[in-house]
Amino acid sequence: MCNNANPYVPYVATIEDAWFETEGDRCVKTFKVTLDDAAARESWSHQPGQCAMVGILGVGESMFCISCSPTEGDFLRFSIMRAGKNTQALHELEAGDKIMVRGPYGNTFPLDEWKGKQIITIGGGIGQAPLRPIVEYVKANLDQYAGLTMIYGARTSGDLCFKGEFEDMSKSDDLNCHLTIDLEEEGWGYNVGFVPTMLMDVNPSPENAIAITCGPPIMIRFVLENLKKLGFADEQIYTTLENRMKCGFGKCGRCNVGNLYVCKDGPVFSYATLKDIPEAFA
Amino acid sequence: MDILKLSKDKFADFLATLSEQKLYAPQKVGESLRFAPVTENSKVELDMANTTVPPKSIFFPQTETLYSYEMGNTEMQTPREVDEGIVLGARPCDARALVIVDNLFAWDVDDPYYQDQRAKNTVVGLACNKPCVNCFCLSVGGDPASTEGLDVLMTELEDAYVLEPLTEKGQKLCQSVAAVTEQAAAEDQDGAKALHQQAREMITRKIETEGIPEKLPTLWDNSLWQETADSCLGCGVCTFLCPTCHCFDIQDEVEGIEGRRCRMWDSCMFKEYTLHTSGHNPRPTRRERTRNRINHKYSYFVQKFDVIACVGCGRCINSCPVNIDIVEILRQAKEAL
Amino acid sequence: MVDVAKLKEIARETVSRDDVKYLIGWRQGTFGFRAAPHFVNKPEDVDQLIFSPLCSHNLATYLTGVEKLPVPRGQEADSRKVALMVKGCDSRAVVLQLVEQGYGRDSVVVIGCPCQGVVDQKKVEAKYPDMGENITAEWGEKTIIFNLPSGKTEVPREEVLAGKCLTCRYPNPLLADAGAWEEVAVWGSDDYADVQDLEAGNPQERRAFWEDKFASCIRCYACRNVCPMCYCEDCILDRLNPQWITRAVNPTENTAFHLSRAFHLAGRCIECGECERVCPVDIPLMKLNRKLTKEVRENYDYEPGLDPEAKPLQASYRPNDKEDFIL
Repeated sequence: MCNNANPYVPYVATIEDAWFETEGDRCVKTFKVTLDDAAARESWSHQPGQCAMVGILGVGESMFCISCSPTEGDFLRFSIMRAGKNTQALHELEAGDKIMVRGPYGNTFPLDEWKGKQIITIGGGIGQAPLRPIVEYVKANLDQYAGLTMIYGARTSGDLCFKGEFEDMSKSDDLNCHLTIDLEEEGWGYNVGFVPTMLMDVNPSPENAIAITCGPPIMIRFVLENLKKLGFADEQIYTTLENRMKCGFGKCGRCNVGNLYVCKDGPVFSYATLKDIPEAFA
Repeated sequence: MDILKLSKDKFADFLATLSEQKLYAPQKVGESLRFAPVTENSKVELDMANTTVPPKSIFFPQTETLYSYEMGNTEMQTPREVDEGIVLGARPCDARALVIVDNLFAWDVDDPYYQDQRAKNTVVGLACNKPCVNCFCLSVGGDPASTEGLDVLMTELEDAYVLEPLTEKGQKLCQSVAAVTEQAAAEDQDGAKALHQQAREMITRKIETEGIPEKLPTLWDNSLWQETADSCLGCGVCTFLCPTCHCFDIQDEVEGIEGRRCRMWDSCMFKEYTLHTSGHNPRPTRRERTRNRINHKYSYFVQKFDVIACVGCGRCINSCPVNIDIVEILRQAKEAL
Repeated sequence: MVDVAKLKEIARETVSRDDVKYLIGWRQGTFGFRAAPHFVNKPEDVDQLIFSPLCSHNLATYLTGVEKLPVPRGQEADSRKVALMVKGCDSRAVVLQLVEQGYGRDSVVVIGCPCQGVVDQKKVEAKYPDMGENITAEWGEKTIIFNLPSGKTEVPREEVLAGKCLTCRYPNPLLADAGAWEEVAVWGSDDYADVQDLEAGNPQERRAFWEDKFASCIRCYACRNVCPMCYCEDCILDRLNPQWITRAVNPTENTAFHLSRAFHLAGRCIECGECERVCPVDIPLMKLNRKLTKEVRENYDYEPGLDPEAKPLQASYRPNDKEDFIL
């Protein structure tokens, strides 16, 4: 949460670096951002799973997940898909430009509780953005976890985010990386097929494991079905929800699913919590 | 402190004294009645059923600047704190609504704008001598003479008002009007109490809330929601006029190089309220939106703050263009449980 | 006059048809002098149907206001018809929606209800305040009869009818597939007196008049949502990119909103008066719409919603159209 006396007022931050992850109309651009104010940097503390409001004065602000782990350094990363008014304006920004940030908001993945377990992330498209902090966090603390399996897919190879970062996944036996795209492409050396199918092929054991999934709603639906087939209990399955948000701290009202606010009670939810909320997967 | 009596022929002096501070009171704006700052030319209307727009508009204005800035500059100015003021003539139901909404604006993170207004304003209530046909405050924990959220309770007698200070702020206000008031006689106080009782007996509409907060969500797929939504126009009358509805949007307003980031009332009955940028809408039709409105008031809010987010003022029933009636919805819900 | 028993019979037959999804009519409301729209899904729901001076709602707005969900894969879209009860003014909305190709003629069944005028709730509630009980009403000879708890009372219609009914020139449906009625005589005439008093003032006075009214607008959009002719899927009021009218509620934006809407309705307003009826802060919106209606009639001899074969005003250029507005 912003240390500002006024929770609506954002911090001024500077874009250190910015690059495109994917191409096309709905391309994804990643921004590496540092807060300008030293005291703000000092007080800022986020954990994997949390979000922040990112915006431009005169345009607006939107909620994005923080796509880096605190283990990576004293900066923030946001991977933003070009979609509406705010994201179009954000995509115009380059290194050196100012950007407004407030947060962090929401709960975190319970990575402490998960110590000693096998961590399985199952992501699709831009849905890898909230999973990336888990991957980075577990990689940095690999001795505390039983291992990491990352399943990540997209429509085409061009739609995969964070492509340069997967090579070091082969460095340890405790790391497994499974990339997949929907349709065969020339020069593609990995798997072909949908993410839920890939999950069945990888066939992870539910024994001492936690599965976290994020991606398009239809993918999540089939991943959940398949995780149940593989024997995962509701408490072993996690996902993050997103909804339209305006304040980020439980006032503006719109992000509720049932009696839970995604901005405060979420965005991280276990399937055990969500399965009884009829609106959760609407 | 003593209970006071204000003779009606001293009302103008009373107003003049109160106007030394910022004073809000019901006045005609266009054809509607709402709380507006009292100036020399104001015509204060206390002879009313209730205001069209509830006094939440003082504490949570329909459009409110969060901070302003110049385009191309990252410096942000928040508005200065508000002056102390008085809200005169709030109905007890609307004052209770403030106490209910306080929960939300103080939940975990303090909302500086709302809380500043709440701290700075003294609320003088006007007991409801003549509830309107759709009042049902008694069913949801209210009362025509409820003192919750009030600093002073005023009751209108035939030729005078009885003023009962309820808080320190209220006592201060009563001291400030000592010159135009006198001590209320026992018979005046009894007269006020009799009017309160009379008002209670005039309320005919009621709902049974027992079990509703816990069980309402179990009616998720009940046909009740579609039947209610069939005729719903999806406008914002019910939510904008509701004294407990508190949802807002945040948008940037830019004129030339002057920019403001503002919040403005929003309504869960609008489709844009939940519309994702992708085009996906988790509440795609008025059925889901109606269901959310009622569940939020009667279940979700209660689960979080242990109080129903409805004060029974009847505005949503009175003003609905198509006679969607929350009392009727809850009757059907209760029946289905 | 409408034979209500016969009307119910027709309604029952209509909703029983396999090719009809539901019928929209009116039922008695939950309090006071109110009626409510009534969606008849099965024959037994017909019992609650009414047709009385309380039936103000123009139900044609529901024909264009349906929120369509994507049809699940493997299922077919429901192509059944919607049946609708219409008064004279309401039928003009249906005619114009058809002219504008809002939907196809074969997707509706129109049940005509000749109308002798509907009451103005504000007038009647002022006349009989604090009426919590449900009051029914019926038409008498140039009167409205209210069934009050104290007994029947008959009131001259001029005292309680809506303004639009006092000047109504089309009480009989202009389009109907069925109906149980004899035509009612046209008894109103329209000299636009309500517009003329405003026209008589100077621009400063008019501006002051509207500024005062628009200042009270809360932008609830009830006027837009109830309007049978406001059915753009992507309304300029909701657009964020570009944002033509901001969400800030202030005199400038409120004025921009109401004037935009009025101009979008020029030559399209069918004068059902619903916008004014539903306004929670009583903005006299019909004064604005009728000024434009009057302009359109005087300049182009055009009235919308009378003839299903006619073209919309904006699509009906004639060589002798006045062009003196072109600078």
